[in-house]
Amino acid sequence: MKPIEGDLMELYDERVKEKGKRRANRRFMLDVLQLFRPEIIKPVDGTYRLTNYGMLQNYFKVSVRNILRNKTFSFLNVMGLSAGMASCILILIYVNHELSYDTYNEQYDNTYRIIHYYGNQESVKSGEPLPANEFQVWANAPVAPAFKNYFPEVKDVFRFTSPTSWLVEYKNKRFQETNLLFADSTAFSVFSWDLLGGDPTTALAEPNTVVLTKELAEKYFGDENPIGQVLLFDGEYQYEVTGVMELPLNTHFEFDGLISMETFKNFRPGIFESWGYVDFYTYFTLQQEATMDRIVAQTDQFVEENFTDDFGYTIQYEPLSYAYLHSEAGRQPGATGSLSNIYIFTSVAIFILLIACINFMNLSTARSVERAKEVAIRKTIGSSRKALVSQFLVEAILLTFLAAVLASGLVAVGHSYLEFLSGKTLPIDWLFTPANALLAMVAILVIGVVAGSYPAFVLSGFRPVKVLKGSFKTSSGGVWLRKSLVIFQFTLSIILLVGATVVFRQLSFLQNHDLGFDPEQVLVIDFGFDQKVQQRVKTIKSEFLKHRDVVSVSASRATPGDFFPNAGTGVADPEFGELVYKSPAIYEVDEDFVPTFKMSMVAGRNYSKDFLSDSSTSMLLNESAARLFGYPDPEEIIGKSFEQWGREGTVVGVIKDFNYVSLHKEVEPLTLRYSRDINTSVISLRINSEDYGRTLSELEGIWNEMAPHYPFMTRFTNANFNKQYEADKRFGMIFTIFSSLAIFVACLGLFGLTIYSTAQRTKEIGIRKVLGSSSQRIVSMLSLDFIKLFGVALVVAIPTSWFIMKSWLEEFAYRISMGWEVFLIAAFVTLLISLVTMSFKTVRAALSNPIDALRNE
Amino acid sequence: MKKFQLGEFEEVVMLTVAILYENAYGVSIKKEIEDRLGRNVSVGALQSALKRLEDKDYLASHDKDATQERAGRPKRYYKITSLGKQAMQYTKETRNSLWDAIPSVSLDVKFAVVYNA
Repeated sequence: MKPIEGDLMELYDERVKEKGKRRANRRFMLDVLQLFRPEIIKPVDGTYRLTNYGMLQNYFKVSVRNILRNKTFSFLNVMGLSAGMASCILILIYVNHELSYDTYNEQYDNTYRIIHYYGNQESVKSGEPLPANEFQVWANAPVAPAFKNYFPEVKDVFRFTSPTSWLVEYKNKRFQETNLLFADSTAFSVFSWDLLGGDPTTALAEPNTVVLTKELAEKYFGDENPIGQVLLFDGEYQYEVTGVMELPLNTHFEFDGLISMETFKNFRPGIFESWGYVDFYTYFTLQQEATMDRIVAQTDQFVEENFTDDFGYTIQYEPLSYAYLHSEAGRQPGATGSLSNIYIFTSVAIFILLIACINFMNLSTARSVERAKEVAIRKTIGSSRKALVSQFLVEAILLTFLAAVLASGLVAVGHSYLEFLSGKTLPIDWLFTPANALLAMVAILVIGVVAGSYPAFVLSGFRPVKVLKGSFKTSSGGVWLRKSLVIFQFTLSIILLVGATVVFRQLSFLQNHDLGFDPEQVLVIDFGFDQKVQQRVKTIKSEFLKHRDVVSVSASRATPGDFFPNAGTGVADPEFGELVYKSPAIYEVDEDFVPTFKMSMVAGRNYSKDFLSDSSTSMLLNESAARLFGYPDPEEIIGKSFEQWGREGTVVGVIKDFNYVSLHKEVEPLTLRYSRDINTSVISLRINSEDYGRTLSELEGIWNEMAPHYPFMTRFTNANFNKQYEADKRFGMIFTIFSSLAIFVACLGLFGLTIYSTAQRTKEIGIRKVLGSSSQRIVSMLSLDFIKLFGVALVVAIPTSWFIMKSWLEEFAYRISMGWEVFLIAAFVTLLISLVTMSFKTVRAALSNPIDALRNE
Repeated sequence: MKKFQLGEFEEVVMLTVAILYENAYGVSIKKEIEDRLGRNVSVGALQSALKRLEDKDYLASHDKDATQERAGRPKRYYKITSLGKQAMQYTKETRNSLWDAIPSVSLDVKFAVVYNA
């Protein structure tokens, strides 16, 4: 229309110039009148388009009637589809949360962190690429200021430490806080944390200042304004609260409060110069428009110019977007997510939705028999194929819409369960945007059209004459498609079930795995390095030992499952006796540690009171550490000299490897250093008691006598150790639940199909019965069709699931082997569930009176 | 059987579009026909012919140049499609073959029949 108007205007202007306005006006009108031609005004092809509205109304009415008439089918359809959609949305909520980690940062794409490599000098200098998993995030303090000075591209550098534990007091409130970090004052310019009170630029600048999270501030101050208040730390230090902040849910490391780095500097200025002292995480942001290219290229030079110690050290960088899901580096500041779990969940979500859609298609197609007459009559009266297709699509979309409404209800209910299962707060407010509402409408349309398209096209293709004469059968093509869809469904179900079985077995394997020590029945009292307790630790130990239920008592820096540092350690090499330096993990323990945790020695001896020199010149290590230093046979390392953190002497014993980190990983090299009292932080008691409640209260009585100033804070080691498997367990639970849902949905579909196929064969069954066939034979005959399909599905599913689960298991250092029994279980369960599902209908069909089947012709 | 259908006016429009090459839009086509053939063309007739040709896929169009003098309306430019080209050639060839089939005497003025005797 517009171009024509343009032409008219152009001509008009010209004519105004040439012939004057009046004539131009006249010509203009004439031109317009001449434009009233049928071709130009409106395409006229068929009159039915004009009656769209009435027809749509009719589709709608017929759809509603149909849905109401076939209540079972509609129920199965809507049920399956809504369960599928709800699971899909729930998984989406979870996956979205996992993917959203750290994205709240305004400088998300511009923030990086330094990862560090500690090792021997040769491997750093060789220039060969160092393995990614040997880098660690946790490292020294001096690299940060040096880095900022060296590279002008760097805008802000932010360091924080691992969690520290403090006894915090305010008025009469006294709690042990275990997750307070020391942090640089640049915290709020690198991370976009909201300060609810206080000044972000100065909050952490001064020594003896803390910023609390909202939760912690409320715990101590309630309704009071916390800013400017003073908290008593460890009974002697007064720290002023200079800020209250909100920590987002999707942050890859968590804390309850930040203490200014200057405070730490006053305590131990030396470590801020030491490249070997490891306790810091370093993050930095770039200047605007700056890139990492030059920084990466000049890293070697930077390390060379700034690092002067004699061990091997180098650094690399990771973008913030890698931190939660992609980083392979060790010693992360918080729990990391698993990318493969996300993939698995996403595929499960797609599987469920697929299964639900297939159900929908199968059920609707199957119902075609009932609808055939309707279709035929509509066609005879003059309905076009297009109209029929839209009729069925409207019906499908209507059902999908119903399912979606139900699904949103299910999501609302399921959301809290999902939060409980995943142990995370999963925000869903991001779902309620106009864009998403539109997306949901589009999704409903698409699912409705996809699920409804096949039946729509098949049904509308019927030849009315054939149908009305009664000689009607669904096309062989339709049967073939339906069969392959069922095979596909079976395949997905079996894959999910194999997955669930493998996950389940692997997790129970981990639970029952021989850890190399016995975490059961060990009570741990945590006194957070309290000096008064440390001074009396020997007395306290002997007092506890007097209690009749206490088997043994040990004081140490940490227990298995706790946080532990690494230590640069040198051990004489087997050939020349020169000290070779490595960086194994370190435990600081006393002579009672090994018996208390029921660990066992493979060579040499444990620390002993009989050897006075043990406290200063002896060392224990584990088998892996012996291997690390080049001694495959643990006996041979006994008596070799060592040097560690300024202590020299000989290795006196090798302890059997025990799992102190996680069964995801092989046991890593560990040294057990004899602990002086001032390095102890926990007391572990092996207890043998009939009545734990009583024992515990009696032990508390002893503690209150010995250390009245410090609260009696206990935990059981197994609880502590099990925490490490929480993520795995949660994964297992979520996976199992959604797999069962998927199988449930698939069963709904199978049930519907059975109804259909038995209905089709009513007469056949009747005749068979009249001729003397038994009920069992009929049931097995009806089931056999599906069992054949099941067989095909099995052939597809087994290799697929084997492949998938094998790669999942590879994440574990200690894993089960997937025997044939896993597949047998999965196949058997699927078969059993489907047979039971089908039997609801087949048995009834087999038992029915043949007269009923044969009477109506 | 008629392979390509092209009426007399349609053919004129096609040819004009071809002549104007990249400058063929409503007004320019109208003017070109009026200049070359000296006959009046109404906007309506031209537009309906263009529409028909477009429906037959002989012409393709696109809009551009929304200028001030056209009150912000774009010009719709027309181009001949390859099908359109075939149609034109077909028409030309049928004409030619008909011309060729005329015996030379029939147009000889000497033998021309004079009706208005």
